[in-house]
Formats: sequence, C-alpha cells, structure tokens
Amino acid sequence: MAAELKRVLVEALIVSTLGLAISLTANLVSPRGLSLTRNYFPGTGSKPAHPPSTAPAEANKMGAAPSDSSPGNGPGLAGGNSNGPIATQGTNRAGQATGEIVIARLKEHGLQPIDGKQAVQLFRDPQYEQELIVFVDARDERHYLQGHIPGAYQFDRYYPEKYLPAVLPACLNAAKVVVYCTGENCEDSEFAAVALKEAGVPQERLFVFAGGMTEWSANGLTIEVGDRKSGNVRETRP
Amino acid sequence: MNPDAANATGKFEKAPGSTSVSRLAGREVVALVARWVLGGVLVYLGLNKALHPVDFLKILRQYEMVESHLVLNFLAAALPWFEVLCGSLLVGGIAVRGSALLSLVMLIPFSLVVLHRALAIHQSTAGAFCAIRFDCGCGSGEVVICHKLVENGLLILLSALLLAVRVNRWCLRYDLAGSR
Repeated sequence: MAAELKRVLVEALIVSTLGLAISLTANLVSPRGLSLTRNYFPGTGSKPAHPPSTAPAEANKMGAAPSDSSPGNGPGLAGGNSNGPIATQGTNRAGQATGEIVIARLKEHGLQPIDGKQAVQLFRDPQYEQELIVFVDARDERHYLQGHIPGAYQFDRYYPEKYLPAVLPACLNAAKVVVYCTGENCEDSEFAAVALKEAGVPQERLFVFAGGMTEWSANGLTIEVGDRKSGNVRETRP
Repeated sequence: MNPDAANATGKFEKAPGSTSVSRLAGREVVALVARWVLGGVLVYLGLNKALHPVDFLKILRQYEMVESHLVLNFLAAALPWFEVLCGSLLVGGIAVRGSALLSLVMLIPFSLVVLHRALAIHQSTAGAFCAIRFDCGCGSGEVVICHKLVENGLLILLSALLLAVRVNRWCLRYDLAGSR
C-alpha cells in the first residue's frame, strides 16, 4: 500500500515536472504568452479595483464584451442577457456609485476622466479627422474587431510591443488622446493611459472615457467593425 | 461466445466465471469512459484558457488569492497548459494515476475557491444561490455557479475513481515506472 502510494506520488511528481517544462515552453513560444516578470497591474498590488463580489455587472452591448479586467467578467444574477455580464438588481444605483469611485481613482492617478457627452464632442470635432484628437481602444483584438469607435487605434496594453509602434506616434502627434475600454468598471483604459504616459505622451493630453464602449453603444452611436478605417461603420441600437 | 456453452435447445448456459469476467469488463469500460471524460474536459477547458491567457490572468486576479504579480503571472501562464497535459495523458492512458492525482490537486482547491466566491456574492445579493453566475475562470465562460460546482464535483469523483481503481486496459502506459 505504502509502496503503491509512493509510486503514485513519484508519478505525479514526474508529470508535474514535465507539465512545468511544457507550460513554460508553451507560454514562451505562444504569441499570446504572458511575460512572467511584468507587473500587468501596476500600483494595485495585483488586486482588482472592484472586487467582483461587490461591483455591479454591466449590461452587455455590441462591442462591449466582457474581456476587460472589469467586473463585467464578474458575477451577476441569472436571468439577464446570457451573452455577457448580467445586470444585477440595483445596477443603476450601484453603477452610479462605482462610476464615482472610478472617476476618483482616475483623478488620483493624474488622469482626466471624460463622460460620454465630452467623448462625442471630441469625436465630432474637426480635429478628429486631422488626427489631432485620437481615440485609443484598450480592449483585446477580438472585441476591437467586433466593434470600436470609428477611427480608434487599438492598444491592447498586455502586448505593448505589438501595438505601441502604431499607436504611440499617433498619440505623440495628437493634442488630445482619449482612451477607453469596455465600460465604467474596466481598468484597462486606465492602465493603457498610464502606459502611454510612461511611453512619453504628456499627461495633460490624456483623457479616459470611463463609460467606454458600453456607454457609446447605449447612446446609439456609430461603431466601426473590423480593422481601423475598414469603412465598415454601423449604427448601434441604444 | 464459446460454442460449447450452447445446449441442445440453442440456448446458452452461463460459463463458470463469466460473471466475474463481465464485471471486470465493466470496470474496464467504466475506467475508460472516466479517463476519456475527465481527460477530454481538462483538455477542452485548459485549451480555452491557454489560448486566452490574459483573460485568465484577469479572472485569477479577481479572486485576490495572491499578492505577488510574479505568482499571478506564473499561475495564469502555467495552469492551463498543465491542465491540457494532464487531460492528454488521461485520454491516452499514460501515467493515469499520477495524472488523476494532479487533476484532484487542481480541482479541489479551485472548486473551493469558486464556492467561496459564490458564497461571498450570495451574501451581498438578494438572489438565490443557484441564480449566481459569473466567469469563474474555468475556461467555459460565464456559468451558473451551481452547475459548475456539480460539474466539478463529478470531475473530482472521476479523478478519485481513477486514482483508486487500478485498471490498465486500453492504456498506452498506465504506470510510468512499471511495465504497463
């Protein structure tokens, strides 16, 4: 019995060692692999700003998919939209409170929050066409391709080496840079803005559209599907 | 079927020891199904996470289990592939009991963490426990947590079964150390 147990344990140990080697190799080789040493959530101690147990979930809208480090990935109550995060009871009130927390946190980090109205104004400003105002989408590729603010650059901050070469020159040349992600509770826009700041974009030019794609879509504004400047622009239904 | 077992009326009589033979065959089939189900699920869920490591990283972070970003990154990068390896070994019938033990070691703490999170959510909301749903980082997206806990319970049972019952039929290499 003891010998048998020992045998199983040794076998598990061998499989573990093999697993470790395979895992690290696969992570290293994979284009989506993580950097083991990089702190992806600087300044937060690897803890989310909104623990999912307390934060409200967002309503899932077109292009506002649950890929961010937001409680959109978090809990909800069954019975809502099964395609994405489910709105909890009392979401509006809680959402409002969370929105205020997010704005306070953005200000704490020296970032300038803007609301949906201001984002639309910037989007419709003639300077947007001249790229003096730039929108930056901080979500991953899958969600960016599903629909983003027309003309927005993609900057998935988890893979800066892939996206920064395209997005940084545009941001450096712009007078205003608006960063957004899924919605109020997502943190990727903040982290992306901080990354851009660290890459040399002056802080006073950086704005975070806290409402993100959720608010944009909820207002029935146009989105661009596919690549940037794909020309595939669609209306969203509020 | 042994033709000698047929009598004059064409009916077959039970050969001595046939009950134990069929019981043995039953055990072998059960072990095979257990291996394939457990292994298949582990490979599927592991691959879903391995292909989207950033999503898994974000969800792991939400559990607030670890402070260190190094540990968090390591878990997010390694666990999914580890799961895929264990699942593949189980499907192929290689190092079956070692892999079953490892899948137990992964499944039990993870299920407890999910349960803990679900209970925390239940306390902070007015809804029924089985109405709670969230993306637990299991690799299957957002799930009704009651279903997930039942599913994990079944997977734990399958792991325990494979660990306890020694059946090496239809295995490529049941024991790494021994013969087959």
